[in-house]
Amino acid sequence: MHLKPQYIIVILLFIYGGLTHEIYGQNISIYGYVQDSINGETLIGATVKNKESTVGTVTNNYGYFSLSVPSNTLQIICSYVGYQSKTIDIKKSKLKGLQIALVPQNREVKEVVINSERLDKNVRSTEMSRIEMSGEKLKSLPVIFGEPDVLKAITLMPGIKSGGEASTGFYVRGGGPDQNLILMDEAVVYNPSHLFGFLSVFNSDAVKGIEVIKGGMPANYGGRLSSILNVSMREGNNQNFKYSGGIGLISSRLTAEGPIEKGKSSFLISGRRTYIDVLAKPFIPEDLSGNSYYFYDLNLKLNFILGQKDRLFVSGYFGRDILDFKSPTNRAVNFNLGWGNSTATLRWNHVFNPKLFSNTSVVFNRYELFNDFKFGSGGFSVRSGLVDWNLKSDFTWFAHEKHMVKYGFNYTFHTFTPGILSGNVGRTSINEEINKQFAHEYALYFLDEWNVNQRWSLNYGLRAVAFQLVGPYTQQNFDNNTGLPDGGSKQYTAGQTIAFYPRLEPRFNANYLINEVSSIKASYTQTYQFLHLATTSGAQFPLDLWVPSSRLIKPQMARQYAIGYFRNLKQNTYETSAEIYYKPMRNQIEFKPGANLFFNQNLENEMIFGEGLSYGLELFLRKKEGKFNGWVGYTWSRTTRQFDELNNGKAYFYRYDRTHDFSLLLSYQISKKWASNFVFVYGTGNATTLPDSRYAYRFGIDPQTGEPLFVFVDRYSDVNSYRMPAYHRADVSFTYLSKQTKKFESSWNFSIYNIYNRANPYFIYFLPDVQTQTVKAYMVYLFPILPSVQWNFKF
Amino acid sequence: MTRQIINIGVLWLLLISLVSCEKKIKINVPMSKEELVVEASINQLSINFNYVILSKTLDYFNPSLNLAAVSGAEVYITEGDIIGVDTIFDIVNRFQFIDYVDTIFPGIYLSPDFRGTANKPYKLEVFLKDGRSITGTTFIPKPKTIDSLNFWFEPTEKDTNVFFYMNWMDGPEQDNYRLTLRNGFIPILTGWGYGSRFYTFDDSQINNQPRPFFNFSPYKYNDTLHIYLATIGRKEFLFWDSFRSAAGNGGPFATPVSVKSNVTGAIGSFTGYGLTQRSVIFRKE
Repeated sequence: MHLKPQYIIVILLFIYGGLTHEIYGQNISIYGYVQDSINGETLIGATVKNKESTVGTVTNNYGYFSLSVPSNTLQIICSYVGYQSKTIDIKKSKLKGLQIALVPQNREVKEVVINSERLDKNVRSTEMSRIEMSGEKLKSLPVIFGEPDVLKAITLMPGIKSGGEASTGFYVRGGGPDQNLILMDEAVVYNPSHLFGFLSVFNSDAVKGIEVIKGGMPANYGGRLSSILNVSMREGNNQNFKYSGGIGLISSRLTAEGPIEKGKSSFLISGRRTYIDVLAKPFIPEDLSGNSYYFYDLNLKLNFILGQKDRLFVSGYFGRDILDFKSPTNRAVNFNLGWGNSTATLRWNHVFNPKLFSNTSVVFNRYELFNDFKFGSGGFSVRSGLVDWNLKSDFTWFAHEKHMVKYGFNYTFHTFTPGILSGNVGRTSINEEINKQFAHEYALYFLDEWNVNQRWSLNYGLRAVAFQLVGPYTQQNFDNNTGLPDGGSKQYTAGQTIAFYPRLEPRFNANYLINEVSSIKASYTQTYQFLHLATTSGAQFPLDLWVPSSRLIKPQMARQYAIGYFRNLKQNTYETSAEIYYKPMRNQIEFKPGANLFFNQNLENEMIFGEGLSYGLELFLRKKEGKFNGWVGYTWSRTTRQFDELNNGKAYFYRYDRTHDFSLLLSYQISKKWASNFVFVYGTGNATTLPDSRYAYRFGIDPQTGEPLFVFVDRYSDVNSYRMPAYHRADVSFTYLSKQTKKFESSWNFSIYNIYNRANPYFIYFLPDVQTQTVKAYMVYLFPILPSVQWNFKF
Repeated sequence: MTRQIINIGVLWLLLISLVSCEKKIKINVPMSKEELVVEASINQLSINFNYVILSKTLDYFNPSLNLAAVSGAEVYITEGDIIGVDTIFDIVNRFQFIDYVDTIFPGIYLSPDFRGTANKPYKLEVFLKDGRSITGTTFIPKPKTIDSLNFWFEPTEKDTNVFFYMNWMDGPEQDNYRLTLRNGFIPILTGWGYGSRFYTFDDSQINNQPRPFFNFSPYKYNDTLHIYLATIGRKEFLFWDSFRSAAGNGGPFATPVSVKSNVTGAIGSFTGYGLTQRSVIFRKE
């Protein structure tokens, strides 16, 4: 077998790294968890350092750390932004496993915390293209309708572009919205939107923090080409019962949490529901009564500390959007549409020994769409969806102070239900099912974080992935010209392989520390994606379908090369970075113009396959601490797609190509009671396809007037050759802490969205004007200046 | 199915309309290359639907909302025969379509002698003075018979909503349909464009059993409804199906759609219709 150079490099590094670590001296391991002293929540990313040296580590996603220090070490120090640092005397502790409880600083300091990272992480870690945000910060940002939103918030980060105001879709370094892996406590979220994309499914009360990886993806992540959005949910207070919530303009939230057994276990239950339907009721005309739309979601988490070595987490999410429609002209016609995600996760943390930590998860995940249509004598219902069963195990081996090795496996069984249609029209019955599809997805990985010496550190790894589409399945043959079955078919029995794609994904990150405050980093990432979203729009819509790779649909593939210069200023108060990336993509999928994606037995025939390319420069400046903090980011980028069947085979701008993208976020703590945020975003207009000619068709003559009748049909030439006007807006928000006692806390958040009332383009349409005998263009824009208020409370 | 999507789209647009605003903007699009457009229709039932309309594309912002008609072309339709696997077109069965009413409605080519026959193939030939030509073939499928047609009133009998239900037998063969509805005055020469509601569908969901159809948008008491149910060939269906998407294009989730023409040398279609026509007056006898 011929191995490509990138694989050889990874293997050689692993061998060399393993050999070299024997030469170091005798050490001891300090390990344990870091948590909040008030509510017992574990702290992710807290720093644990040997007080007498610069050697340190950070807590992982479960708050666990393991630090290898010389046996004569006396003290370690634990710190976390927004908390008082704590020094632990090693000699006095029994070293069985530490439970370090950090005390939060007073509120006015905590309020301005922008993240929870180690202060010099920006320079020292091998990570690049990664941003984190706390749940608390998320809630203080300016929002639409008083509803804090994870997916809106991350689009303020450089390199992440919004799909628009009515979309929770986001675009990372030229990738599509389906190329982002969205995880909620390790469960994949297939449709992250409520309200047709206006809001996301994440309830901010239940969110502990978010992490976005847009490049340099370590080997423990995979499955999507462009990015990882990791949303961690809160565990619940294991010390006291607490209630919190918020009342916004369109929805309210309520969260209850508390100990099941004090200090040992906790629960958190958080719900949210819109009341658009209730608020709109008085304004709906009588003939439209009975129509309603609402969504709700429910988060549940149970957390058990079973001992020094074991912790168990059970978490779940259940969310639904429900739309009821009754025809105003025919009350017998009733239309009901619903969609939503359900997830359940069982996680088990186990500490085998101070150096070996594991997490094993079983995840169930379902996305479903249901649609019932009734009309007097008949009716039908449509069901579609996707169900995943996932088992994964991740091990972290703190092998040595210079090596941290991660390895693990991930197995998912997918069941795709593209559509089941049943019902009747009069005496005619309709029963049709698009063949279900079944697939196994496997991943096996290892990575090594290796601090080679004072200057060099590496994070290299290899992820072996495989996708196996299996029977039972009947593969019908279709005539490509007519779209009709040609009579031929192939039958696959249960478990029989239909398509099998084994692939290797090498990952490589390197950091060269120039000095204490600056470094150069480089990364190489290769990723494959086996699931694809069937959509013709830029945003995710409830009717969109996830489809697996098959004999015809090859896995999407991307390589990403990135290099960056990172520098901290003024004792790590300011972070700066400049990153350049180059990302070619293969087997990109588009649909033929006018493709019918709904209930189509031959969806593959509607697809076309091509290539993509994205490259750009991202500049970032962030002030992390102080009363006045925030960030400014600028991206210059270019993203193209090339399909033989589109644009005469010539490359064209991707719809969300943005030459310039600028974002500014400023936070200022005005006083103990008042805090403020200011946001400004600017982006080059989206590329769009406009007609360049038109023709009249479906001709007729009105015999009463003698007037000719026809419709105009638009004709298109170049794809995405027109640019919409630029998108920009400024928002401001003020948070007023109205009451803060030991038992009760309440605050108001006042936001003004789009303060200078910019008409940002949503879409353009054309209308013929008979009076002037011309065609006129109109631009639709969504949100003008929009004030909102939200009340939050905790007791 | 389509109706479901339309319903979702309508509700979604309703939602958007509650929060959206619009303004007129100026857009410059480059000049386009002119292309010929043909709309040719033949059937076995009525001469009113036998015509060829020739026009051309216009620059998008061209200050004209009229048909950009092409006059003076030589237009022929030839009836053929299927012998075994071969289709033979004999020149003796060739009919010339002439733009008789060119001064009033330019670009419309008619033939008073032409009658279509079910289960026959046809060839279209168009020759322009500048040397360009258009060719295409079609087939008039066997028409369907509407087996039943019922209507009812909701909620009262007078000045109220009327719904109707009809069905016909969809056979075991693959069938494609165009259905056009028109209420009111019966036209003499109207063309398909005089219809008020248009439907294009195939039998992929309901095959070889009674095919139902009923209206969701009501008519009024005393309305006269003319129903034109036509069977069409597959490539003609693909054209009209793509036309439906192209003509209704627009909005934020729209993608540019090009029609799937079944002629060469122009955009458009040559469609043979196996036509059935029924009329009904919505009132109690």
